[in-house]
Amino acid sequence: MLDFFLGHYAYLFLVALFVVGLYGVVTKRNLVKKLIGLNIFQSAIILIYVAGASKWNATVPILEGSGASYGDAGVAQEAAHGAIEAAHYINPLPHTLMLTAIVVGVATTGVALALLITIHRRYGTLDESELLERMS
Amino acid sequence: MKRFVLLVLIAFGALMFYGVSTLPDRADPRAPANLEESAAGSPVAQDYYIRHAYEDAHTPNMVTVILADYRAYDTLGETMVIFAAGLACFLILRRRRQEDLEEWEESEGLEESEESKEDGTRS
Repeated sequence: MLDFFLGHYAYLFLVALFVVGLYGVVTKRNLVKKLIGLNIFQSAIILIYVAGASKWNATVPILEGSGASYGDAGVAQEAAHGAIEAAHYINPLPHTLMLTAIVVGVATTGVALALLITIHRRYGTLDESELLERMS
Repeated sequence: MKRFVLLVLIAFGALMFYGVSTLPDRADPRAPANLEESAAGSPVAQDYYIRHAYEDAHTPNMVTVILADYRAYDTLGETMVIFAAGLACFLILRRRRQEDLEEWEESEGLEESEESKEDGTRS
């Protein structure tokens, strides 16, 4: 049981974050709060991917010994000799995919906020039930 | 209604909990995603990327290599999404002359309830 918790605690907390986000989307009547719930939901998904990318005793997916000696011959030689240990770096693929997801998320949030501004201009409210009343 | 929503949320949480509990331990180096070869004998993506990123693109940062080299078309599509979103924001927020006039009338106190009703049905 303890082993299960130690291996999965990040996922379990993120599931809780999922539920918080869904709660916001489903129950809140204010559209801005709904949007915030949607963003929390999205953050939970992104974090679950990033949490799954980690590896014990591994470092960020940037070649060691680069940095100051950027483009150094030593790194190139190491790469050419196949001395790069895959177990030495964490999984770079989820990070890349989530980078894309964050950018798309910002775009969708922007469009949603623009729609909210237009709704508020036209109907003067962002409350769901009031909106339904005014639209009919 | 409130109770039903609560039930749905709990069911969703339980489903996610079940899904997450079948995952291998986080950060386990022996998890299938962290192996060098999959069970079928094909190379696993992360192993390939980590080993070949530098010799393929001569960039030490593997995330950059995947984003801008292996998955360049994906990133191109992403920039298109951003462009489309920006265009959509512009088109949504653009104020037409008619709306400006209506707003002016509203601020002058000429607006009637009739007018706002008509305003609502017009799309």
